[in-house]
Amino acid sequence: MKQLVCCLLGLSMVAVLSQGCAFIRGNYGEELGQGDVTSIQKGVSTRADVAAVLGAPDRIIGANDREIFHYYHYDVKSGSVFIFSRTNIKSDDTYVIFNGAGIVEEVVSGKRKGPLEFQFWPFDWPFN
Amino acid sequence: MTMLRNVSIYLILALTFVSLDGCSQGPLIWRRVTLNQPISSGDVVFIVPGKTDITAVAERLGAPNEILTSQGGIVTRYYFADGKYFKANYGWGFRFLIPFFSPDLDLGGGGIGRDVFQVTYDQHWRVRDHAFAFHSRSSEFMVWPFKD
Repeated sequence: MKQLVCCLLGLSMVAVLSQGCAFIRGNYGEELGQGDVTSIQKGVSTRADVAAVLGAPDRIIGANDREIFHYYHYDVKSGSVFIFSRTNIKSDDTYVIFNGAGIVEEVVSGKRKGPLEFQFWPFDWPFN
Repeated sequence: MTMLRNVSIYLILALTFVSLDGCSQGPLIWRRVTLNQPISSGDVVFIVPGKTDITAVAERLGAPNEILTSQGGIVTRYYFADGKYFKANYGWGFRFLIPFFSPDLDLGGGGIGRDVFQVTYDQHWRVRDHAFAFHSRSSEFMVWPFKD
């Protein structure tokens, strides 16, 4: 009986201390695999080849007689502890640039620096 | 008997804390939202106009958030956005004085600032020039919204 009470007390303390806390994760769009991007060959791959590997682009941009396929992915991590809350968002973009003949001229892809972290402290240390 | 009393006290305490669940946000709220990581001038010293190409820039800084067209070249832009928000409920304490009426008096505010790093490329995807715009510091936790 004593053990049961201690166990219940411990569980309730954990429950009480963690109330008001929330950690949430979300994303928008599909993350492209690096292998998929490296399979695209400059000067060789066509629009159809790129679409077959990466799928239809999220956006198509026209720039200086070039066509650019834009793929994007957003990752969100949000943490709330009592009165503090912080949400970090990270974008990963991939651009495939085609020349006037519809052949891949350039692939612009790369990860942004720093990992996306769960944080709840909203200040730059100490209070900024 | 003592055990029963302890369990009762424990239950009362647990119910008290659970009933305060709605108070967990409390009278104060600090919130912050950031998009991506800031890029500093030290991060871009490797860029040499006329020599560095877009692939090298993307390898070091990642792909840009936006590609735009401009006369005779292409512009890429990297964004870092920082949003800050603060709210204080100055009526929160009244619930202890007037239990049946707890008015909310919320004051506060915030803002969003955005840093931009812009790189312009020529027709051969070599860097023509680059520039920063720092505005992320313009966002702040605003305690008093009537200051101006």
